Amino acid sequence: MERNDFGRPTRRRLVATGVTAGIAALAGCNGLLDGESSGGDSENGSQAIGQIGSGRSPFGERSIEGGTSMTEMPDLSGELTVYSGRGEALVGELVQFIDDLYDDFSVQVRYAGSSDLVNQILTEGDGSPADVFYSVNAGSLGTLAEEGRTVALPDEVLELVREEFRDPDGQWTGTSGRARTVPYNTDQWSASDIPGDIYAFPDAERFADQVGWAPTYGSFQAFVTAMRVLKGDQRTREWLQGMLDLGVQEYTDEFLVCQAIADGEISVGFANHYYIQRVLAGRGEAPLTTAFTNGDAGSIFNVAGACTLDTTDNRELAANFVRHLLSAEAQDYFARETFEYPLVSGVDPVGDLPRIDELNPPEGVDLTQLADLEGTVDLMRDVGVL
Amino acid sequence: MDAEHAPGTDDAASDADDSSSPFGGSPPPLGLSLASATVAALVLLPLVWLVRLAFDVGVAEAVALSTRPETLEVFANSAALVVAVTAASILVGVPLAYLTVRTDLPLRQFWTVAVSLPLVIPSYIGAFAFVTAFGPRGALQRLLAPLGVESLPRLYGFVGATLVLTLYTYPYVYITTRAALKSMDTTLVEAARTLRHSRWEAFRRVTVPQIRPAVAAGSLFVALYTLSDFGTPAIMRFDAFTRVIFVEFNSFGRDFAALLSLQLVAVTLLILAAESRIRGDEQVYGGGRATDRVRLGRWKLPALGFCGSVAGLALVVPLAILGTWFVRGASNVGSETLAFDVSYVLNSVGVAAATAAVAAVFALPVAYVAAHHRGTVATLAERATYVGYAVPGVVIGLALVYLGTSYARPVYQTLYLLVFAYVVRFLPQAVGSLRASFLRVDPKLPEAARTLGRTPSGAFRSVTLPLVAPGLLGGMALVFLTTMKELPATLFLAPTGFETLVTRVWSAYSQGYFGRAAVPALILLAVSGLSMLVIVSQEGYDVK
Repeated sequence: MERNDFGRPTRRRLVATGVTAGIAALAGCNGLLDGESSGGDSENGSQAIGQIGSGRSPFGERSIEGGTSMTEMPDLSGELTVYSGRGEALVGELVQFIDDLYDDFSVQVRYAGSSDLVNQILTEGDGSPADVFYSVNAGSLGTLAEEGRTVALPDEVLELVREEFRDPDGQWTGTSGRARTVPYNTDQWSASDIPGDIYAFPDAERFADQVGWAPTYGSFQAFVTAMRVLKGDQRTREWLQGMLDLGVQEYTDEFLVCQAIADGEISVGFANHYYIQRVLAGRGEAPLTTAFTNGDAGSIFNVAGACTLDTTDNRELAANFVRHLLSAEAQDYFARETFEYPLVSGVDPVGDLPRIDELNPPEGVDLTQLADLEGTVDLMRDVGVL
Repeated sequence: MDAEHAPGTDDAASDADDSSSPFGGSPPPLGLSLASATVAALVLLPLVWLVRLAFDVGVAEAVALSTRPETLEVFANSAALVVAVTAASILVGVPLAYLTVRTDLPLRQFWTVAVSLPLVIPSYIGAFAFVTAFGPRGALQRLLAPLGVESLPRLYGFVGATLVLTLYTYPYVYITTRAALKSMDTTLVEAARTLRHSRWEAFRRVTVPQIRPAVAAGSLFVALYTLSDFGTPAIMRFDAFTRVIFVEFNSFGRDFAALLSLQLVAVTLLILAAESRIRGDEQVYGGGRATDRVRLGRWKLPALGFCGSVAGLALVVPLAILGTWFVRGASNVGSETLAFDVSYVLNSVGVAAATAAVAAVFALPVAYVAAHHRGTVATLAERATYVGYAVPGVVIGLALVYLGTSYARPVYQTLYLLVFAYVVRFLPQAVGSLRASFLRVDPKLPEAARTLGRTPSGAFRSVTLPLVAPGLLGGMALVFLTTMKELPATLFLAPTGFETLVTRVWSAYSQGYFGRAAVPALILLAVSGLSMLVIVSQEGYDVK
């Protein structure tokens, strides 16, 4: 493995763009959402400062297009503590990049599971050292917001992201997205064998003992929550019971579900879209691909996101750090390195994936409703899934 | 180090005369009692948080939750698992100890280390390796495929959890039983043989009563470990107590999780009481006189097969899986950040060594008082140190997050609090082994030093301490190893940015970067293996 060259700009150019960028940022970043390049009148327009990471992707090369460069965002200075439920393998490089970009900015990241960190922040109470919480799902952000532990993000941060991907009260914002999908083994099934309707799975006898799920995983519980919101508890209970009767196999996480499908241990499952891409990135020849259900709970779109905490003593810095997660460079990084859906317009996903507007998520359910996992866990336990 | 024993040197002198007899019923010196009680109170502190949270649930709801069929079911599941794993560990650990101590088994030194080593493998790595290896189309099936093996049976559920937990906890029974067998006077067995007892009968009537306390002590660790383990039930998909607690924490039901944890503590107390009963009146060991070893004769091959299959299953399966991860390497993008760094080793070894040292200081008064005095304070203090061991690390971790941020903010997320958390979890391992050593010290020896004009604490320092040093070191080594592999409390309490081998394993493994998990995991095993040598060799036994 070769060391990554962060492609850091010279200090002089940074200062030059920094000034104009600061002004542009103060003027508010409007007009970004219609895909125009904005502000910064340096000689090469809205130039990104370089790609984060190797710049190579298992799915081919690409350059940064669209979005707002970090150079056009306010400079960061001071010290920040981030509690990150997203793993270091996925976001460490990005955080390091932001840390290296500013001489007098240093960020400390505490990595652990998202739920563990929510429990930790709630248990810490007003003694929490955390400034920013960065999470794998909207549910844990929603929990903190409900507990009154968040402070609203400023409009210029929120406006970078489409409305449906952030909290209506502005308490948190999504930073990248993930779609619920149906991974399946291409040696055993063809696309036409996979139902386009999530409710058809329990009756698909051909899948007996062949389906894998990870019921303790937050994204799966968010999917069950969506089903409750859309169809009610009774229908959800029947679906879960139907899957149990079909002999569904339980795994501890969805990466293992996808691995098991690629291994042929099972042949179909329920998982976030990027787990499939991640197995494929490691084993290009694996007989594994992605299917989507149509406009039902099986195809909800959830986000990883961030919020600033009420215990922070530097709200502006915390909010501006979150803003950097929505920069062109960060969004490109999510697409190329973690195989997620960028949430800022103009940055497309990579790999064998439809564009964000080609997805068909269900109508009538929003991300905040997915935050209520308590009732879902009760119901799942009641049926005997947990 | 000895500051613990300094108090009351002069005025305790009169007590010390009585207390020198191990069966003396006199109360221990006040200073020692206080030290012992203080340690017990400290390690019980985290329970305060549990009680507080459980009160938030409300009595009516608490009763309703506790008596739900589902709760009773996981209760029964956990009980069954504890009984099965403990019984299986005795069936594996005691014969292994007998074979490696009392018989002419070939390569005894090698087997002694080999069958002790599974203790250093974190159970979640063991469980994961077994699932990976034995799935219907796992690694093993792919190896056997040319031989026409279509699919292997699943290892999940009760059987899988029992198998994995037994393989990684039987060394507790093995190590304690082995120590007892080594210090046993075998001339008694010879005497029984001359009285026309068969070998089996001699074992049952002479050896068993002698080693029973040691087997009970080892089994206690097995039972409590099984009760508190998170990883194995989760990976083996078995609905034990810890798994339900885990699900509750995951959905932010901290109060219900606390309630379940208190139930877990209640079960722990039952197990502790049961062990006290079994332990009964212990022998005070004299020096063992070893006679000839038992000749295995035609049993040699089966005996070797038994040792080989136990060590093989427990060690080769995870090592092989880690090996394949290592060879496959970091095939994934984005894993550059997980590259290996030597500081992880230093951090791991540093906190584990500090924990072992603190645990030794804490264990001395508790073990001394428990070994030399019968009484409520002595017994309660010793038993109290076991509670933290039986409570899952995630619960201890969160409890100390609460206590740290509320009452001790300067030490929150510093190494001081992290080491304290480890001590709460692992202190009994030092107490148990030290107490056994104190019991083996002939009380006449410190008495002789007293008649030569030494103060009680002087006699302790110059006579007793050197005699118990091997037991103390053994206990410290056990604490060291278990600290090295502890994960949940580390994630909650380590200073931000402080990375250990085990947090690196977790970071890589939890995101599916198995190649990156292999290196720290293998190093963890190597370092732990070395300290295992300390445990095995500290009984004055040459491990070459």
